Amino acid sequence: MDRKLTSTILSLVAVLVFFLAIWQIGAAINPNLQLDQTALLRFVFVGIGLLIVLVIYILTKKSQIWEVGTRQVVYMAIGAALYAIFSYLFNGTVFVVPSVSQVALRPAIAIPMFFGFAFGPTVGFFTGAVGNMFGDALTGFGLSPQWSVGNGLVGMIAGMSMLFSDKKKGIDVVLIISAVVAALATLVWVLNPTVENQMYFGDGAKQITTFAALSGLIGLAIALVVRFVFGKNIDIAAAVTWAMLGNFLGIGFAAISDIWINGYNPTVAIVGEFLPSAGPNLIFAAILVPILVAAYAALQKQTGR
Amino acid sequence: MLVTWRYRERKSLIQSLDPRAFLIFFACFLVSTLVFWDLRFLLFFLAIALVFIFTSGISWKEMSRAWLFIGGFILFFSVLTFLTGRGGMELYKQEHLVARLTAPFSIFGWTPTLVVTVERAFYALSMLVRVFCLASMTILIPYSLNPALYGVAFHGLGLPDKIAYAMDLTMRFIPTFGRDFTLTMDAQKARGYEIEKLNGGLFAQVRKLAPLIVPVTIHAIAGSEDIIDAMDLRAFGVGARTWLQELFYQRRDRLVIGLGILLLLLSLALSLLGLGKFWAPETWLQQFPILQ
Repeated sequence: MDRKLTSTILSLVAVLVFFLAIWQIGAAINPNLQLDQTALLRFVFVGIGLLIVLVIYILTKKSQIWEVGTRQVVYMAIGAALYAIFSYLFNGTVFVVPSVSQVALRPAIAIPMFFGFAFGPTVGFFTGAVGNMFGDALTGFGLSPQWSVGNGLVGMIAGMSMLFSDKKKGIDVVLIISAVVAALATLVWVLNPTVENQMYFGDGAKQITTFAALSGLIGLAIALVVRFVFGKNIDIAAAVTWAMLGNFLGIGFAAISDIWINGYNPTVAIVGEFLPSAGPNLIFAAILVPILVAAYAALQKQTGR
Repeated sequence: MLVTWRYRERKSLIQSLDPRAFLIFFACFLVSTLVFWDLRFLLFFLAIALVFIFTSGISWKEMSRAWLFIGGFILFFSVLTFLTGRGGMELYKQEHLVARLTAPFSIFGWTPTLVVTVERAFYALSMLVRVFCLASMTILIPYSLNPALYGVAFHGLGLPDKIAYAMDLTMRFIPTFGRDFTLTMDAQKARGYEIEKLNGGLFAQVRKLAPLIVPVTIHAIAGSEDIIDAMDLRAFGVGARTWLQELFYQRRDRLVIGLGILLLLLSLALSLLGLGKFWAPETWLQQFPILQ
């Protein structure tokens, strides 16, 4: 097992070094080489994302949550397929779900969050990463593997709640981290309110609306409300808060990697990408995830599993 | 319970290849295409894609819906980019004006103006070709890879058994859940649910999506018990997995893989030399004035 682990790490590092080397050598051969060699950088960030996953895995290796049995294999497949289908359907191509004030509705994100929370981080990661890949392939979008890894992180972090036996403690830690992230991102917007929204493909580029910009804070507020309203139902509170953290960190990873990949400056990445995608996702986390958790609890009760 | 993709046996170039060979070639093709913005280079990739499409043996009738959908989608985004001039701003520094079309009316003090420049036109065209190459190769996959070989192909590409099988199951579940979704939507519509008329505020709208998302998800999880039982009964995951069908590389498969890797390395080398960036014909650039 340990040898396997070392070889995995080594191959990941090798891929990373390979692409970084090409990038560096390229700069040496051709000083005019710019960051539009995006295809290469995408893969560097996939490597970095996978390394993050691996580090988290090594740190928490002793825990039971990483075990993959038959059950997990099937849940992975179900989660990924559902995520792919829903993102295909709600990408604004098959059903045009009206977007409110530039907030693109991506309800599908509730799927990796729920699967991660209910079935563990491995299932969550697979659901997010593979589901996003197939979803993009179905829609006919290009290849943005850094967003696949980002979506995978959303599901994985949602599943990390299983690490805490005392769920209340876990929730409070998460809430504090999320509040800080949301506040920081919103602060960047307050300082730079004129950046264009990169996530909205309506008619042309538009300055981000106040509502879209504040959706991070709004989502946080809803999550807080859910946490205290469902204070007795600790499962729902934990699901929402962990999904929220996963969303912040996973989407944050993808948005930040776009600083190098698409050549955005950090402000554009945060205000133009992170806020308008992570913010609305929080709203789904707060509304759809509790419904799914409750429905799943009912199913478990019914079948006695 | 499982609905398959629209695969059937055909005499075609793709299907004569080992699925692993095609997937490796496909990956190399994707990365290589993503490296370029030059229309002349992209036309070469378009030619490769067209070869695969026209030798695929899939009739127009079978795949017309997919083509129309993707075609409309790509066209929409290219035209949008052209009209708004958005995107590609990092790729070109100055624009050469061809025409400035101004609408003879104005709405609320805003006069619709269309600025046509050489760069925007070529950027839109390059984007059209680029996305078409990626999308067209991707839609061939469900039609021409044998679903029975998904698992063994992913396994052959070096994934662990369990992950390979999960990928296999994912690809098999997608059409099934697509059908479940349609059924659920019809059932909810019969009860008066209208997805076309979601009203209310943002939160109300999100909540109203639950009658679609929750039944499909929970039904899928409930139905999975049978699959889990079936897999457990066959001792899934106990030892190294064997596959019903095995894959062997033929000479043509090795050739295709070699060509794919060659294509990838060549593309990377060219891009490192600074070739294949955004391009517009020189004569046109000289003919039109620079947009201030």
